[in-house]
Amino acid sequence: MRNNWKASRVIDTATAPNVLVVDDELQIRRFLRSGFEFDGYSVSEAENGREAIRAATLRPTDLIILDLALPDLDGSQVLERIRSWSSVPIIILSVKSSEMEKVRLFELGADDYVTKPFGMAELLARSKVVLRRKTRATTGDSIVRIDRLKIDLAARNVFVDEDRLTLTPKEYRLLQVLAQHPGNVLTHQELLKEIWGLPHINDTHYLRIVVRKLRQKIESDPNRPRILLTELGVGYRLAPPNEPSDANIR
Amino acid sequence: MQRVQLMVERVLKGMRSAASPGGAGGIFAALALVAVVTLILEIVKTFLELPPIAITYLIPVLIAAIRWGYLSAIVTTLAGAFCSAFFFYKPTGTIFIEDPARRLSLTIFAIVAVVSAHLAVRMRRESEIARKREKEINDLYAFSRRLAAGHSTSEIFDAIQKHLSTVVGRKVALFEPRRPADGKPEPIGESDVPQNVRAAVTAALGGNATAGMPIPDQQGNLWLVRAVSRKAPDLGVIAIDLGQQTPESEEEIRARIEAVLHDAASTLEQLGLAHALTEVRMRAESERFRDALIGSVSHELRTPLSSILGAATVLRDAPAVAADPRLVGLANVVHDESERLNNEIQNLLDATRISGEALHPKLEWAEMADVVNTALERRRGPCGAHAIDVELPGRMPLVQVDAVLIEKALGQILANAVKYSPPGSRIRIRGWQEGGVFALAVSDQGAGLSPEDSSRLGERFFRGRRHIQSTPGSGLGFWIANAFVTANGGTIEATSAGENKGATVTIRLPIPANAEQLESISSD
Repeated sequence: MRNNWKASRVIDTATAPNVLVVDDELQIRRFLRSGFEFDGYSVSEAENGREAIRAATLRPTDLIILDLALPDLDGSQVLERIRSWSSVPIIILSVKSSEMEKVRLFELGADDYVTKPFGMAELLARSKVVLRRKTRATTGDSIVRIDRLKIDLAARNVFVDEDRLTLTPKEYRLLQVLAQHPGNVLTHQELLKEIWGLPHINDTHYLRIVVRKLRQKIESDPNRPRILLTELGVGYRLAPPNEPSDANIR
Repeated sequence: MQRVQLMVERVLKGMRSAASPGGAGGIFAALALVAVVTLILEIVKTFLELPPIAITYLIPVLIAAIRWGYLSAIVTTLAGAFCSAFFFYKPTGTIFIEDPARRLSLTIFAIVAVVSAHLAVRMRRESEIARKREKEINDLYAFSRRLAAGHSTSEIFDAIQKHLSTVVGRKVALFEPRRPADGKPEPIGESDVPQNVRAAVTAALGGNATAGMPIPDQQGNLWLVRAVSRKAPDLGVIAIDLGQQTPESEEEIRARIEAVLHDAASTLEQLGLAHALTEVRMRAESERFRDALIGSVSHELRTPLSSILGAATVLRDAPAVAADPRLVGLANVVHDESERLNNEIQNLLDATRISGEALHPKLEWAEMADVVNTALERRRGPCGAHAIDVELPGRMPLVQVDAVLIEKALGQILANAVKYSPPGSRIRIRGWQEGGVFALAVSDQGAGLSPEDSSRLGERFFRGRRHIQSTPGSGLGFWIANAFVTANGGTIEATSAGENKGATVTIRLPIPANAEQLESISSD
């Protein structure tokens, strides 16, 4: 591990992922820069919303860390603008931790949400997850493996180890929607709309019951789920998929 | 004065309606009843020698009095007397009566008929008034309930508008008094208010009361614009659609509305409405202030804290520091203490929310296992030195709570368990169903509670005497947990076998009656 640190300090600009840090606080940018650089990223900075949008259009960017409270534009506006032309992973930083706010940002297309204050290790772990997801999306693999679970989206089959599961249509649909965005939080409303349709958008209990039944089939302990995870007050997500070929990111 | 005027109007109106075609209809109906009674008596006469003639005619008289009023009762009496004389008393076929005793009985019949008609009419009128009063009281009761439930001035004005349109019985638009900065006044209730009427309303709101003369709009409908109360300008300005009226009927309807509005305004004043309005405005003001304060505290304090905490974590893992355990220790001190400071700030913010009654739980069906797992996940760091046991039943009911608040409450309880029990000891989380309640207990093997601790645990800022010196804390944790659980309709209870014998905190949440049925929701 120690050796890795040393190696990564010599940044290879050709393969190092580019992260754009957007925050109006100099001190925050400073520690984020050090933290990301120690971990082998190449870092650029923006201190307001307009600069962030310009930087994202000018330079090839692999990841954006976006603070919500910016002096010129609201962070959610920046998110919306960038999402209008780019699918680059965006992690939101905010001092507010209200669940309603999170729901809104996830629905606007944020990939993850970290509440300030936070530790660098946590942010790095989450960055790694969203970057992996992006490479997956570009390879277009139709098989998602999480822990002992294997979802074959093309053949519509689900296995635990090598045993094929029998799922009801709603259970499969839930797993399918989540597997199309592995690691990404999908809000209650998004899932209800996808699975039951618009009229049932507030019937959270439908979702709770199907999640419970699905967990009984795919989790080894349904009360301590490891695959189908709850984001309390916001929605659900699948744990990050197993990736034997990690090498192309780090 | 106004009440007398109203009474006079009502009587005049009653007389007018008696003379109108409807009243004449009443008289004809009464005469028809007399004819029917006469026919029946003719039939009865064939097998009964002396039928109770005069008394039988009292029946149509009373019916007429109750249904069609005094005038038709008198007519019925006369018709009854005439029929008795003409058809039944000898010599029949004339109105002359031979027998003096019969003459007397017919006179008595007339007197009794007139008197009982009078009584019946009065009874009817009184029961009508009672019914009307009951309706008024019901309206007022509904109105005062809406007032009590009003959280904002617009809700209160909404209630006033509904009340006024019920009492006036016409289309009513109410205009809330606003500061000029807020722009043009918007009507509550009837929204279709013509432009020139709005101009008059704006003038009236500005204090330039027009003399209260109705204003015609383009369709020729008349609108009355005036302050709801002359004494309390805070109650706003009302515009009433009088419809199309002749000058005389306009005068009359205006007088009536003035009277009704006068009564309504004094009721509103008695209900302390002006006071309620000021209170609501002040509450809104202080809520805004508190929100601003919370926002600024969380931003101003947390932003530097984020830099400190984040920088500490980068330092700790930086190669140069990681090589020296002493430096790692120092970086950990910076990190742990900033974490603690952050928790204290969060507790203060939560406490402000609670004491400001700004807790509005968002109740949704929730899986308690999710709540427990999230609480454990979020406290993974602080809980690291303890062995945590979780025992949840395989089949758990869904509960209807604000899962985020319950998770915060459970987090506080876990933090306390960690804080007051030695590292390496066991913390047990157990969930079970007891009847209509889901219980979740957190037990530790730590300092426990003295009898004094137990009785004062729910107090804000209370700290056990044994711990003030040794363990840092603000005394807010249990209080916050208690407030969050109570806001969700649950209870929280702390028990202990005594000092140093561990403590158990139990959260109990109601299971809604229909929780069981949810299980049958199809997943096909």
